[in-house]
Amino acid sequence: MSSVPVIEVNGVGKRYVKYEDTPTLVGHALRLRSRTRRSALWALRGADLHVQRGECVGVIGRNGSGKSTLLRMLAGVTAPTEGTVTVRGQVAPLIAVGVGFHPELTGRENVYVSGTILGLTRRQIDERFDEIIDFAEIEGFVDTPVKFFSSGMYVRLGFSVSVLADPDVLLVDEVLAVGDLAFQMKCFDRMQAVRESGTTIVVVSHNLNAIRRLCDRSAVLHAGEMRFDGGTGDAIALFHELLGESREVDADSGRDVFRPTGAARLSHFALASTNGSDAHATVSAGSRARFEADLQCELDIAAPYLSLRVFHESGVQVYGETVAVEGGLRAGDRQAVSVELPVELPRGSYSAELLLIGLDATLHATPPPPILFYVDGRDGVRGVADLHASFTLRPRE
Amino acid sequence: MATREERVSVGKGFSLSGPATPLPELVRGIWSSRRLLALLSRKEFFVRYRRASFGVVWALVLPLLQAVVLAVVVSRFVTFETDGNFTLFVFAGTLAWSFFSQTISGGTTAIVDNADMSAKIYFPRALFPLVVVGSGLYGLVISAFILEVFVLGFGEFVPPRAALLVPAIAVLVALSTAASLVLSALQVYFRDMKYVIAAALLPWFYLTPIFYPLDRVGRLRTLVEINPVTGAVELLRAATVGADRGWTVALGWTVLWTVALLVLAALIHRRHDRVMSDLL
Repeated sequence: MSSVPVIEVNGVGKRYVKYEDTPTLVGHALRLRSRTRRSALWALRGADLHVQRGECVGVIGRNGSGKSTLLRMLAGVTAPTEGTVTVRGQVAPLIAVGVGFHPELTGRENVYVSGTILGLTRRQIDERFDEIIDFAEIEGFVDTPVKFFSSGMYVRLGFSVSVLADPDVLLVDEVLAVGDLAFQMKCFDRMQAVRESGTTIVVVSHNLNAIRRLCDRSAVLHAGEMRFDGGTGDAIALFHELLGESREVDADSGRDVFRPTGAARLSHFALASTNGSDAHATVSAGSRARFEADLQCELDIAAPYLSLRVFHESGVQVYGETVAVEGGLRAGDRQAVSVELPVELPRGSYSAELLLIGLDATLHATPPPPILFYVDGRDGVRGVADLHASFTLRPRE
Repeated sequence: MATREERVSVGKGFSLSGPATPLPELVRGIWSSRRLLALLSRKEFFVRYRRASFGVVWALVLPLLQAVVLAVVVSRFVTFETDGNFTLFVFAGTLAWSFFSQTISGGTTAIVDNADMSAKIYFPRALFPLVVVGSGLYGLVISAFILEVFVLGFGEFVPPRAALLVPAIAVLVALSTAASLVLSALQVYFRDMKYVIAAALLPWFYLTPIFYPLDRVGRLRTLVEINPVTGAVELLRAATVGADRGWTVALGWTVLWTVALLVLAALIHRRHDRVMSDLL
């Protein structure tokens, strides 16, 4: 079904002009400053993206990679500096935190206002009203001003209106992280249904799980450039490599809080895959991961300890273990460190750190840049650990 | 789904290359948002007074109160020869002035105040100042009706005059709209625009024949005539208590100003409509 694409982005670039000091009318009139100092920045350059009807495309990238700029252009909120953005059909952004909701207006009134903004007629809103309220789970608060709504209710109503407005293109920007788990799952189901009905969806998110669940195809943006457009798995792998690169740069700038003693050096910290192929930043759950590093000693260390820590993307420490290095370390020692562990983790992004510490937790070596990796977990597993539950059903007598 | 096909055939969607929006497209965009404009204007008007104990009554009482105070104070010092009741004469003036001044001060900040919405969803930015005008129109129409009732009550009602009420409101709305469209866009670039307007409104009030008739200004006559609000005030008087002598020149200026500002507004919005949100 290669028809005319719903979204066509051709050679698009967007340059923002940043004013050092905001221009003022009075300043202009009085010529207080002959010229306002300003600098230009290309937030996005040379981007191409064609999306067919009913496709769901993820856009991933770090902060400042140009994701939001792309999304803003797809919403028609801003025009490209070069190239062309064409969207065929009605666009609806997920009205994330109820943008456009008027706090003094009731839930009912806001549904009508937002629905009208999204291009629905009064009759269409009438028809869908009950469904919108039902989906948002705000029965009983329909005629309450939304300023008395909890943040969850606010978000649910916003999501509900956007999705039930049945747009041709739905733009999703970091909304899926809000609402409780039950509502999130409902949203996922709804978005699948919306997609099957022919709506084109573009998802911008840091939540790689959301992207993986919804999108078969993803684009990776890095420093205003579109680095990749293809399968979501490959996109996520590339994203982690890019993240790693920039982490190394960060580490070089030396902003460590704990000053290491410099008694040893840890380097070449890397994830070695156990199945032979070269280290790709994706590990499947249930396999064994091996981390490797080089350790070089400059001074004698009486009681050294090696410590491995694994963090979830949310910042939660999933695991940490510290072991004593038997016999201590002598100046001039060179050791190959290898840490192997079973990856019993749910799907998600993780980072691993390796530390060489002393008895009183002094750092003996500058910690190498953490390794970022993505765990392709088992379906249905959530949380911070995969405990391999077994479910059994037996007919009761 | 039938609804989707229906809407696609209406021709939604857009193609953007470069910052400028062709004028016909901009006008079409505003026209197709007219239901939204009406809905937002109505909500805006009623929400403003929702928390007040007498609600919408405030919108109507304030210009009347201003007129009474002004009439009482002014008549302590000077007596102007007006056709009928002096308080009604002043009320016609304050009514037109308060609509104009509230509309342009609210209109100036309209786009900037709605920055969060503009960043998420597109409709012509001109809609924000238009909503300010639209919500003000409710109060204006009701107050003009009340003025007409008072005029009737004081036995000064002249039926042919009342026919001018519609063009009078139209001219006032057109002028305020044109000015708000220009100022709202300028405020995006020059954030001190609203202070400039607040400062300008102070002397502007006295240069408008609100509590004095046009033929009593002497040497300042030309300046008062060129003032775009003068013609609008006089036309509203012509529709109610009777206009001052020689008011048609001022009306000519008002029409000229309105057309000039509309052209300017079209030029600014054509060029900046799709890129304003970059600066919000």
